[in-house]
Amino acid sequence: MIFNSEISGQQQHTTSPVVTGGSVIALVYNGGVIVGTDTLCSYGSMATFKNVQKIAQISKNTIYASSGEFSDFQQVVKELAKIDRSALQYDDGVHPSPKDYGNFLARLSYKKRCKINPLYLQNVIAGFHNGERYLGLVDIYGTYLESNFITTGFASYFCKAIIANYWNENCTLDQAKQVIRECFKVLFCRDCRAHDVIQLAYVDAQGAHIEEPERVETKWDFNGFKSRANEKLHTQ
Amino acid sequence: MLKHLYDTDCVTWSPQGKLFQVEYAMEAVKQGSICLGLKSSENVVLCSLKRQPSELAGYQEKQFKIDDHMAIAIAGLTADARVLCKYMRTECLEYKYTYESHHPVGRLVFKVAEKSQHKTQSGAKRPYGVGLLVAGIDPNGVHLFETCPSGNYYEYKCQAIGSRSQAARTYFESWFHLFEKSTLEQLILHGLSAIKKAIMEDEELNEKNVEVGILGKNQKFAHLNAQELKDYIAKLEGFNPNSQIQQE
Repeated sequence: MIFNSEISGQQQHTTSPVVTGGSVIALVYNGGVIVGTDTLCSYGSMATFKNVQKIAQISKNTIYASSGEFSDFQQVVKELAKIDRSALQYDDGVHPSPKDYGNFLARLSYKKRCKINPLYLQNVIAGFHNGERYLGLVDIYGTYLESNFITTGFASYFCKAIIANYWNENCTLDQAKQVIRECFKVLFCRDCRAHDVIQLAYVDAQGAHIEEPERVETKWDFNGFKSRANEKLHTQ
Repeated sequence: MLKHLYDTDCVTWSPQGKLFQVEYAMEAVKQGSICLGLKSSENVVLCSLKRQPSELAGYQEKQFKIDDHMAIAIAGLTADARVLCKYMRTECLEYKYTYESHHPVGRLVFKVAEKSQHKTQSGAKRPYGVGLLVAGIDPNGVHLFETCPSGNYYEYKCQAIGSRSQAARTYFESWFHLFEKSTLEQLILHGLSAIKKAIMEDEELNEKNVEVGILGKNQKFAHLNAQELKDYIAKLEGFNPNSQIQQE
């Protein structure tokens, strides 16, 4: 796989991302895996693109989401889709399993990291294959992990406590959804680059389902905000 | 037919629409000693007869492991077989490195076939003089493929290639309807019985000149060792496929 920067000879390195996506939270539940992201792409601190789908369906039983540079996300989606299409060329009906995608992405990320030109992403691959749930994380360095729950970005700091207290690997789909909604509520309050519109997607034995975006419940009508009794107006 | 007018190279068709060089290459496969394969719903077994160039020499191996889930048996030019074997092993390793899973069998056979076809369409190349029986297991199930110097490949329930292989194929035609549900032991005995049909009158099967490889959904590719071969060959005496029918 050759990137344009390598062809032109001008070696350019991604030193900092430009348009970025926020945290991804992924959990397994009883019967599948679920991934949640918000629908925001930020241009630095500016909330520019507010209605972006950041979860992609790669194959019938695999979905992919990532946080970080959004153009890299789009490129990765193209590369993963290429692999699935090669099944048509070989005419053998053998489709990669979610784990195959995870490993491929890990190899790709590692290669790019070794050239000091990384895919500026924390990637999450989620799928359901042969009755088994799969959740994989590939980070910017090409580190590859499989786990029952994955958080990227700020979610790793704010949401692990919520997940630890309210989720277990055999919970129902609705319970898992509630946990993710709660996590994004907290993220919207605490993460400056987060958004209150989120999107959930889950993969079960029937395949991948990407839901419509939804707004998380937030509460702003606290008395403290309204009355501001403790604040004093500063005068000269 | 004035064959010699049209058989100099691969880039010349005969008026009857044949590529003689390719056909001659397939003859080389028919000169090799017999190897056969048969599969059930769970296992694949490869059996081959090993040739001994002289009394002083060892027996030429005919089966090679490609990966845990795949193996080949060869008939024809061993040197050409080694080239294809190396190619297949490299492809499997690369696939495992990238995807951490086993190379789909049909896809690798397709790649070998493409490679073989390439040699049949050039003025400066000759086709590979070897036919492979590829046994493998992948998510699509249990597979047995045959590849030809022509670049064609076919999937089989059971197949025999090499010298006197027609006798083994005749055996298969009588009994292949039993293979799907056969146990591993029954498959091995069927394979050895088929090979027995193909040996010369003064030859006999023994643990030195026969090679048996087994592959299964829960069984990585393995050769039967000398003792196991002896035991199976001894069991051949009392092996009666008819009793398998009564079981069903």
